[in-house]
Amino acid sequence: PVLPQGWAGEKDFKSIGQLSSATQRNIEPVGPHFLAHARRKRHQRTFSEDDRI
Amino acid sequence: MSSQEEGETSPEITAIGISFGNSNSSIAYTSGEGKAEVIANEEGDRQIPSVLSYIEGEEYHGTQAKSQLVRNSKNTVAYFRDYLGKDFDSIDPTPCHASAHPQKHESTVAFSIQDKESEAQNIVTVSEITTRHLRRLASSASDFLGKKVNAAVITVPTNVTEEQREALSKAAKAAGVDVLQMISEPTAAVLAYDARPEAKLKDKIIVVADLGGTRSDIAVIASRGGIYSILSTSHDYETAGAQLDQVLVDHFAKEFTKKNKTDPRQNDRSLAKLKLEAEATKKALSLGGNASCSVESLADGIDFSSTINRTRYELLAGKVFGAFTRLIEEAVRKADLDILDVDEVILSGGTSHTPKISQNLQRLFPPTTRILSPSTLPTAIDPSSLSARGAAIQASLVQEFEKDDIEQSTHPMVTVTPHLRNAIGVMVVSEDVKKGLFTALVEKETAVPCRRRGVFAVPREGGDVMVKVCEGLRDIKVSKKEKPKANGKPASDDSDLDSDDDEDEEEEMREKVWNVGSVLAEAAVKEVKKGGKVEVTIRVEADLGVHIEAREAGGKGGVRGILGTARVVENGSA
Repeated sequence: PVLPQGWAGEKDFKSIGQLSSATQRNIEPVGPHFLAHARRKRHQRTFSEDDRI
Repeated sequence: MSSQEEGETSPEITAIGISFGNSNSSIAYTSGEGKAEVIANEEGDRQIPSVLSYIEGEEYHGTQAKSQLVRNSKNTVAYFRDYLGKDFDSIDPTPCHASAHPQKHESTVAFSIQDKESEAQNIVTVSEITTRHLRRLASSASDFLGKKVNAAVITVPTNVTEEQREALSKAAKAAGVDVLQMISEPTAAVLAYDARPEAKLKDKIIVVADLGGTRSDIAVIASRGGIYSILSTSHDYETAGAQLDQVLVDHFAKEFTKKNKTDPRQNDRSLAKLKLEAEATKKALSLGGNASCSVESLADGIDFSSTINRTRYELLAGKVFGAFTRLIEEAVRKADLDILDVDEVILSGGTSHTPKISQNLQRLFPPTTRILSPSTLPTAIDPSSLSARGAAIQASLVQEFEKDDIEQSTHPMVTVTPHLRNAIGVMVVSEDVKKGLFTALVEKETAVPCRRRGVFAVPREGGDVMVKVCEGLRDIKVSKKEKPKANGKPASDDSDLDSDDDEDEEEEMREKVWNVGSVLAEAAVKEVKKGGKVEVTIRVEADLGVHIEAREAGGKGGVRGILGTARVVENGSA
């Protein structure tokens, strides 16, 4: 949408709300994408760090 | 070269995928090109009946053992998978009625069979039977691969207990097979499809219906970025292949009785013969429109031969088919979803070959839902082999790992993560929140951390653009379809028939709509070119912090922002 007139935010960004609560669930330890997730989690890496390796 | 020595220091692991069922088992491996292939045993069977039979000390396995159910039922063990790791009081011995009966033995279940050359009856525990069965499966795989198979990924139902896992692991170890990992049957089926080179990674809701011989298991799975989370599961032991066999057994038995005045169901051996043949007839009816059933000397030395066509069979088994559909509907409801939310239905298990079951599902689900079964999709994978293939793929992924690595990776510390309760997306088109069009970027039930990127069109003239990131709630809009104007009949005709028609015509139209939830953030992207697009990246961290980045597609820089973290609510996982 078009930016309304007079809209302002710090560095053009305005944080308004936050996520509603999330549900704790089990993910299935199967498949290449899970293994990548497990690797990230165990080494405490973020996506971009993982991409670089 | 002292290859022997090398073998001792670091034994080579040859891992396969095993799907171990009550009725059938299958084995699969991953070829050099990364494709899962199902292995046939010496008899050429890819579906190997989970049956063991003993005659004068000799062990028979698979199809050969199954045919012994007629002459040698007391020394034939079948349908034992679900007894493993259970105590006698908690098992249902019904499926074993026509074979060796399970009995209480110390804390486990055992069978009393004559498995040696001597006449003596031996007590063989279910865990020993499992070991023998797995040993035969592994040796078939070893023969085929030309290498000793010493490890496997085995599929298990979603409702196995820790005791059952342990018992299976022990029994496999005794057979010389190291269980690298146990994965659940429905996930294995999803993996078998997702690992195909032509598969595209997409966020979707999948229903896996594993329709087996003695049980049916339904699981609703959210597939998000290739990560699977089970949302609901249900299990049914009354609606499965055995019930379909029974329909045919009853049908043919009645036909036989009409001609010959003896009911083959009254005699154990006659019944066993008829059951085996009825199952073969059922399989033939999945492939062709007509099938025959013939049994030599069915009862009183009289031969029986008959044919049945598919239409007749579908009529007779209509009730059972309906029950399958209801099971699936129920599982979707249990996951708090609507049938409109389902993107794919994967039919797995032997009974899934039945065309009528997939046809019924096609009618239940909207046309956009893909029903993956041989009769509805030409490229569908053989449903009987799905779990074995999935297991083989997983085996190829983890066989290089250290055992500790696998254990640590599958630890709840890793597998339990928060899942988004609502979708996150971007408002496009309109300025007004209420009228705006919501486009979901991150679907609900996505496990975090996750990131998604989307490209959105901006108003034609370009200029400064506002990116509004919101939560979205899926809603089902029900609207009554206008009934068509009187079709020739006078309106005053109020017969019963007419009122029936009215009900049909006033069909409900149901569709998925997005209701916009709370607004999370606004960002301004300035001076977008005419006809340009805006790229929005949303990244949700493990602590539920949200990073938002918006920029003109192809442009540099852009706007970034972070939202505060939200609470995680403990909620029983499915």
